[in-house]
Amino acid sequence: MTSKIIIMAERIKDAEDRLLESLFASPPLADDGFSVRVVRRVHRRLWLRRLTLPTAAIIGGAVAIKPLSGLLALASSLSSLIPMDTINMASNSIPQFQTIVLGAILLAVCLVSTRFLED
Amino acid sequence: MSTSADNELVARVVSGQDTAAFGELVRRHQSHVRNFLRKLSGDHTLADDLAQDCFIHAWEKLQTYSGRGSFIGWLLKVAYTTFLQSKRKSKRYAEIIHSAGHHADIESGSDAPANDEFTDVEKFLAVLTEEERAIMVMSYACGLSHREIGEATDLPVGTVKSVIFRGKEKIRNSFDIKDYNHG
Repeated sequence: MTSKIIIMAERIKDAEDRLLESLFASPPLADDGFSVRVVRRVHRRLWLRRLTLPTAAIIGGAVAIKPLSGLLALASSLSSLIPMDTINMASNSIPQFQTIVLGAILLAVCLVSTRFLED
Repeated sequence: MSTSADNELVARVVSGQDTAAFGELVRRHQSHVRNFLRKLSGDHTLADDLAQDCFIHAWEKLQTYSGRGSFIGWLLKVAYTTFLQSKRKSKRYAEIIHSAGHHADIESGSDAPANDEFTDVEKFLAVLTEEERAIMVMSYACGLSHREIGEATDLPVGTVKSVIFRGKEKIRNSFDIKDYNHG
């Protein structure tokens, strides 16, 4: 109710207000391809955004390939430190032990990538 | 300009990144935004560039439009912010040029119009501060309510009213506006 009264009070304009309105009024501007230019810029931005992630992934992958291969070599050398008995015991007690470990790694990678994509 | 039609177009853009719907929104409101920025900046080319930037910002922030106020009110808020950001940037640019000793070049290359080239509205706007100018244009040229102007400028409604009052007083004191013809 109060807001309606305020809006009505705003609508009550004096002669000076009406004169200012007519002085400030401008003829509507023709579009003349303005909206087309804006939409084109929006399209360009959409494409850039779509290309940014794969490009960054490729560049990042290319940069990271050497240190990653070094890390893998280190990990495999470390795995030789684990006694074979322990690995055999784990494989015997849980038959799909390797599959579970691989699944867990893939799940972690997926979660991290999803978070990255959301960001 | 129907708000429900605007809201429908906004919903289409937000839900499916529909560029055709966004194009329709631009077509509907480009005149208001460009006129607002032309009055604010006094430079038609700059205003049109800023209007393009404003619509790009609007595209990126469209999900923040709640649909409560009018869409044009929200859009003019984006336009005003774009204008202020650009002004801040150009001020910084001018400062860098000035410190590099090229100030004289800028002044000699200025394309400011001669005094007799100003229109009546430009003369009125010249006596106002930037904030007063924006609020007066939103009120008298764009027809926004005091509440909508408050939302667009992040000012309380009472402050908007007093700025309009002050602006009118300045125009009244500087010009005899009754001498000007309508239209």
